Amino acid sequence: MERGGVPVRLESQGSKVVFGKSLSSDNEKRLRAFFDSAFEVLSKRREVVFDFSSCRSMETAPTAMVYNVSRRLENIGVDVEWRNLPEEGRALLASFERQTAVPKRISRAWSVRGIVEDIGESGRTALEVAKGLWKFSGRTTLATLSALLRPATVRWKMVRFYMEQGGVGAVPIIAVLCWLLGTVLGYMIGYQLKSFAAEAFMPDLISYAMVWEISPLIAAVLVAGRSGSAFAAEIGTMKVRQEVDALEVMGINVFGFLVTPKMLALMCVMPFLTLLADMAGLLGGLLIGGWYLDMPASIFIRRVNFVLLPIDFWWGMLKSIVYAVIIANVGCYMGMKVRGGAMEVGRATTSAVVTGIFMVILADALIAIAFMHVRPPLTI
Amino acid sequence: MDDGKLIRVENLRGGYGDDLVLDDVSLSVKVGEIMVIVGRSGCGKSTLMRYLIGLARPWSGRVVFSGQDLWADPSVLDRARKRWGVLFQSGALLASFNLMENVSLPLVELTRMSQEEMELVARRKLEVVGLAHAAEDYPLSVSGGMQKRAALARAMALDPEVLFFDEPSSGLDPITSHSLDLLIKRINRELGTTMVIVTHELPSVFAISDRVVMLDGEAKGVIAEGTAAQLRDLSTDPRVKSFFNPEKSEQEEQ
Repeated sequence: MERGGVPVRLESQGSKVVFGKSLSSDNEKRLRAFFDSAFEVLSKRREVVFDFSSCRSMETAPTAMVYNVSRRLENIGVDVEWRNLPEEGRALLASFERQTAVPKRISRAWSVRGIVEDIGESGRTALEVAKGLWKFSGRTTLATLSALLRPATVRWKMVRFYMEQGGVGAVPIIAVLCWLLGTVLGYMIGYQLKSFAAEAFMPDLISYAMVWEISPLIAAVLVAGRSGSAFAAEIGTMKVRQEVDALEVMGINVFGFLVTPKMLALMCVMPFLTLLADMAGLLGGLLIGGWYLDMPASIFIRRVNFVLLPIDFWWGMLKSIVYAVIIANVGCYMGMKVRGGAMEVGRATTSAVVTGIFMVILADALIAIAFMHVRPPLTI
Repeated sequence: MDDGKLIRVENLRGGYGDDLVLDDVSLSVKVGEIMVIVGRSGCGKSTLMRYLIGLARPWSGRVVFSGQDLWADPSVLDRARKRWGVLFQSGALLASFNLMENVSLPLVELTRMSQEEMELVARRKLEVVGLAHAAEDYPLSVSGGMQKRAALARAMALDPEVLFFDEPSSGLDPITSHSLDLLIKRINRELGTTMVIVTHELPSVFAISDRVVMLDGEAKGVIAEGTAAQLRDLSTDPRVKSFFNPEKSEQEEQ
């Protein structure tokens, strides 16, 4: 073994560990390697001496490592004696002993009871969120209605801004996605209908699927992902920076100031996004019809015209307004709930999207039931 | 208004979640004075501030502003808010608005002034705090001291009767902090604005306070009241003595 540069070595047939001049982060790696290989030998002894007589400086991290080794040895019944410690080493050792003397907080062990408690706890949290959201929606509705009664108080500049952000910005992705979905659905429907020579009905199914259900939903999901999260992040950050408190103590209606413009903007753009999604989806169906089923575009269009009623479009646009209200409310609510720091903002953004989509689909289910009662019977 | 008391806190209890921070706190603020609330970190001064400005509702007890309980009905709080200005620890300027827009914000939202009038007022307020040249700058592009001053201008936009300050000098260097103190003092003298200031900066306390109230975390309330000099020189309470003479108490400890 080389001398001088060696941070540690074994002596006296493995009953003595002699440390070099310094325990520093530079030689921590070599110390660790040494103990990895020497632990076996050391653990067979009844007593081990750690000799620090030539040690001049001891840094915290490598010393902690050595301390940890000595504790492991003591746990398996080996007596370890730290000998000739320099002053700073003694202080460190004493401190480590104090730290380990403090009983660690025991994490809750796995148990049936624990699981039941966890389920109950998350149920309670969900209930609290639902209650808070309900109250919040009430206040935003009030603020928005009163703003509409006095249009001069609305910050129209901000409404325009959010319309651009949440509406115009979402056009490409919604168009592409719905076109793709229309194509895929058209292909799959055509594939199945072909097997009993009923592919002439492909336009019917595509129309119903896209216009009734998929287009409004995809538009809502994308807006929830783009705008709902943005709202939560924006308000959450303002909350962290005390800007929301500042608005409140200035006597400014926080709901009218922060929530109403976002809500109005989404309510304005969502119907158009839904209409766009309808068109893109049908276009996808039309193209796949021509390519896969050899269906002329004129036939596809005539069939779509025949089976779809104006109410199908109106209904989709109407429910998209409901989705807009839900998304804006959930996004802003999650932002307002932020307490503390950056991590909370991240969490708020996540739950804005997840809760937003969940609520949208929940609302969709209820609206679908109503729709089946409202819509005139199918034409075949 | 009763005997010149603008704000009265009566037997206030409050805290966060289940933690009681303030227990049975009573104090009052006189018209035109600069009252400073001091205490060590975590003693509840910022919590007390939240109750004073109506950001949180006390568990029990009352906060009375010019004779009316803030929480008696919502309109009281609404009206009170138009009569005071608050300067938050971080300044809390809206990051997406420039300084001028920030200062005119309360005017836009709470008055029916015309665009030109609002601009006049906003520029005047920025001038008072020495920021006339930076009206078009955005909060994040100016220094911390300028943010604080702009926030002060915004708090003063509606010529409030009371200004609340939450740790005005936190994060500022001693010189900037001192000039902010001088500004606060000047506004108080020239406009007669009542000031309530939460701080733990001793130089500020001595420079500006008319009266000092000291809170303590253990006692969960007020443990001393008087002028800064009285508390420093005459108090026999060890907690007060050590707060106002930190060097001495350290020597004693050693």
